[in-house]
Amino acid sequence: MITLRGLTKRYGEKTVVDDLSFAIPAGKVTGFLGPNGAGKSTTMRMVLGLDRPTAGEVVVDGKPYAELRHPLREVGALLEAKALHPGRSAGKHLLAMARSNGIPASRVDEVLATVGLSDVAGKRAGQFSLGMGQRLGIAGALLGDPRVLMFDEPVNGLDPDGVRWVRQLMRSLAAEGRTVFVSSHLMSEMQQTADRLVVIGKGKLLADAPVDEFIADNSRGSVSVRLPSPDDVVTLTQRLHVEGATVEQTDDGEVVVHGMSAERVGDLAHEMEIRLHRLAERTASLEQAYMELTASSVEYGTVAA
Amino acid sequence: MTTTTTPVTGAINSEWTKFWSVRTTWWSLVSAAVLMLFYAVVVGFSVAYDSEPGMSAAGVVAGGTFYLSQFAVIALSTLFITSEYASGSIRATLQWVPIRNRLLLAKGAVLVPILFVFGVVVAGAGLLVAGLTMQGNAGPMSAGGAVVAMLGLGVYFALLGLLCLGIGTALRSTAGSMVVVFVLLLMLPMVVASLGAEDAVNFFPGFAGVNAMLLPGDLNPIFGGPLPYPPWVGALICAAWSGVALLIGSQVLRKRDA
Repeated sequence: MITLRGLTKRYGEKTVVDDLSFAIPAGKVTGFLGPNGAGKSTTMRMVLGLDRPTAGEVVVDGKPYAELRHPLREVGALLEAKALHPGRSAGKHLLAMARSNGIPASRVDEVLATVGLSDVAGKRAGQFSLGMGQRLGIAGALLGDPRVLMFDEPVNGLDPDGVRWVRQLMRSLAAEGRTVFVSSHLMSEMQQTADRLVVIGKGKLLADAPVDEFIADNSRGSVSVRLPSPDDVVTLTQRLHVEGATVEQTDDGEVVVHGMSAERVGDLAHEMEIRLHRLAERTASLEQAYMELTASSVEYGTVAA
Repeated sequence: MTTTTTPVTGAINSEWTKFWSVRTTWWSLVSAAVLMLFYAVVVGFSVAYDSEPGMSAAGVVAGGTFYLSQFAVIALSTLFITSEYASGSIRATLQWVPIRNRLLLAKGAVLVPILFVFGVVVAGAGLLVAGLTMQGNAGPMSAGGAVVAMLGLGVYFALLGLLCLGIGTALRSTAGSMVVVFVLLLMLPMVVASLGAEDAVNFFPGFAGVNAMLLPGDLNPIFGGPLPYPPWVGALICAAWSGVALLIGSQVLRKRDA
């Protein structure tokens, strides 16, 4: 369980993390979403005590990170995979890590085997590919067998097999009752992995809900229509507005209708003798729900600035 | 999981493992030793073929330290902390050891014994080589003088390591830290001396370190003058500089985000 209470980080005039309060429960995968610069990494660094909050606090199982006697046995984290000395071998890196928290050296071989890096334990970490670096970072997070795990963009640089492996790993860690907190920019990934979502934009909390509830709350069903004649687009749009629907045009010439069923749009077109080349219901994906939510946060941000 | 390790010993064990698992360490230690032996051979032979009796073997070792050997120790000790900032590994290290001062303590606790033993060994080898190459023309050196040279270099390297650790922690940049250390050891004393305050040079860490290796009666190998104070005072002056550097480093490390 990670608990944030009024967590705030300002750099001079700029507020990067703005009064975040939420709890990340044990036994679930909690996805942490937000556009670039939303404050995700800063939030995670404050959880680990790397950055000092301007206001508020964050505790792990009731304690600030720095007060944990052997922090790696309670919290495992992958923030930046490449945050290691490039000249040190993967095995020595993990060994130094194990020794810092009194973790038996035998755990090093175990976690290297878990992430599939046993064969390259003696290789210098600077020669690792991005994907191998991510695996080494995950090995480090698992080293102390911690009850709380945090991963910042864990599938970055992994091949499809690796992505599937990480997904299964997150699920199994949560199933063992651990707290799993994962940031990602891959919405589809979160949809398949996360139980809960925490969404932030411009440092502010936008949503904190189970995945299903998040999609239901943040998306509207819509209908996409393609018309061969630009004149008809104008005519139909006017009529749809009259009928109370909202209409937007996409870049590829499609018309997206909100607040009306596909049947009703088709009937109206038929009534007006307008030819349609396509009429389809669009179901909301997490991607859309997320885009809609953060798009508005970006707008607010622009106005505020 | 074992629970016998305390967080402090864990942090020291971890830093010990890190120290010995990068090539920089080996290159620096080998360089420091080779530079000392090179200086001892060159100066030793030049003394041997000089008409007048030359400096003592301890003086040769003190000169080798000041002119050459110490720079490898400076690089090693500075990189021990600044490479963490250069690579970003400081953010991993502080996850392992979140109490900032505990990290500084652990790094110091690794540097001090290693550099002390290394200094003693390098001084011993330097004395031996200087004695052999100077043949009969060496200046007089008592057994006590040899012991002081060895202990003095051990203490100086250990304190120099802490000085670099403190400055590196405060500045975070490898180049910036090394420049500050060089200025403190060489340039600043030279400026001060050129302004007329020649005795003041003995209170800068580099000169104090040299003075810590020699007994009264020896000639200062840098200036050739008599020594201003006994060796233990030189060690205390070095310790004061290192202490101040560590205090500043500790303040920065605790206050700033990693």
